[in-house]
Amino acid sequence: MTKKIVEKTFEALFALEDLREVLRKTTPFYNLTEEQKEEVKTIVLKVRKALDEIEEKI
Amino acid sequence: MSQGIKLEWRAREELFINLEPLQRGGVVPAEARKIALSYIDGYSTCDYCLGTLHILKKPPICDFLVEVADFLGMDRAILTHGCREAKFAIMHAITKPGQAMVMDENKHYTSYVAAERAGLKIYEIPSNGYPDFKIEPEEYVNTIENVKKETGELPALVLLTHVDWTYGNLVDAEKIGKICREYHVPFLLNTAYSSGRMPINGKRLLADFTTCSGHKSWAAGAGVVGILAIRDEWKDKVFKPSQRYKVKPIEILGCSARGSSALVLMASFPYVKERVKHWDEELEKARWFSSQMESLGGIRQLGDKPHNHDLMRFETPIFDRIAQKHKRKGYFLYEELLKRSIVGIKMGRTKTFDLSTYGLTKEQLSYVIDSFKDIINKFS
Repeated sequence: MTKKIVEKTFEALFALEDLREVLRKTTPFYNLTEEQKEEVKTIVLKVRKALDEIEEKI
Repeated sequence: MSQGIKLEWRAREELFINLEPLQRGGVVPAEARKIALSYIDGYSTCDYCLGTLHILKKPPICDFLVEVADFLGMDRAILTHGCREAKFAIMHAITKPGQAMVMDENKHYTSYVAAERAGLKIYEIPSNGYPDFKIEPEEYVNTIENVKKETGELPALVLLTHVDWTYGNLVDAEKIGKICREYHVPFLLNTAYSSGRMPINGKRLLADFTTCSGHKSWAAGAGVVGILAIRDEWKDKVFKPSQRYKVKPIEILGCSARGSSALVLMASFPYVKERVKHWDEELEKARWFSSQMESLGGIRQLGDKPHNHDLMRFETPIFDRIAQKHKRKGYFLYEELLKRSIVGIKMGRTKTFDLSTYGLTKEQLSYVIDSFKDIINKFS
């Protein structure tokens, strides 16, 4: 159980670094391309899923 | 109980366009930031210690250093805490206090301080002065001859700052390498602002030693880290081990970057290898930016023209005239740029300022140009 939580914690953190990367690439206008918008949506889903799994395991 | 020192979180790269010339080449890609997160604890490199850092198999620091040496066109490489530590290691290993050393006037201060610490007598190669501040390779001949005349000996070491930190001038290192070969004087090439940004081959440039800055030009943060690369013939002197602790190289005090900075350097390496292939695009952007800045009027780019690097110094009397009448004096420019989400120009500077265009998009750079134009129009 613990290992799974650790894994999901890193998964969420790493996904958030990908989100940070999108912000870095588009600052200061944040005019995201369609592809970047999709990427952000995927990241958010990934983080949410990881957090849900952590919550379930606790 | 003490609440500790309150620290602000930093989001310069996410919230602003950052033009700080010290920082542009050290911006860390996402994959390497992930590694930094997991290796942030002290001595995180040492879970599978084999006695010294540069021989580690897990994480594969040993294999990485072999690849780095190849990437730099040198025979061997080792990690240091930074470029300055690499320079000092060479000076300490191959010279004796009181000997002469030659370096260019555009050097980084740490080259001078390292030579002072090694007890060397420093002879400087003058630049050709305002407005180009070029280092002419032929001047090395004059200075080496001068050392010979004054001391009766050749200099113990010659150093060239491949690209200087002030004007971003790129010097013809191979010409200086040839001069050093003719005089049989060892040649240290400081690539703090070149390797990791542009392709470098140390041997082709006839360097005996190449020093690099991870946090300046190899997209490595999470602390500081450098690289010292050498030709094989110097290994016994520069990588000499301790007599008692046989695996510990003396000049780096055994082990150097023992944590996340080393891992970030490794994680960024594939990205660095790829980005140096696109140096011509960076150069095109830098030159375009320089010409756009000058077209605003009352602005002059100093140093090489056409420019050969992303790091630039601009002389800006137009902003200085505004500063003299503005209630915020020299701070007005920093504050006006900040309002437009642009940072990196030193606070209070209006006579001249330095910046780098490295890694920024044409769209971001166009916005920077428009912002400068907007500020000029607002106050003229």
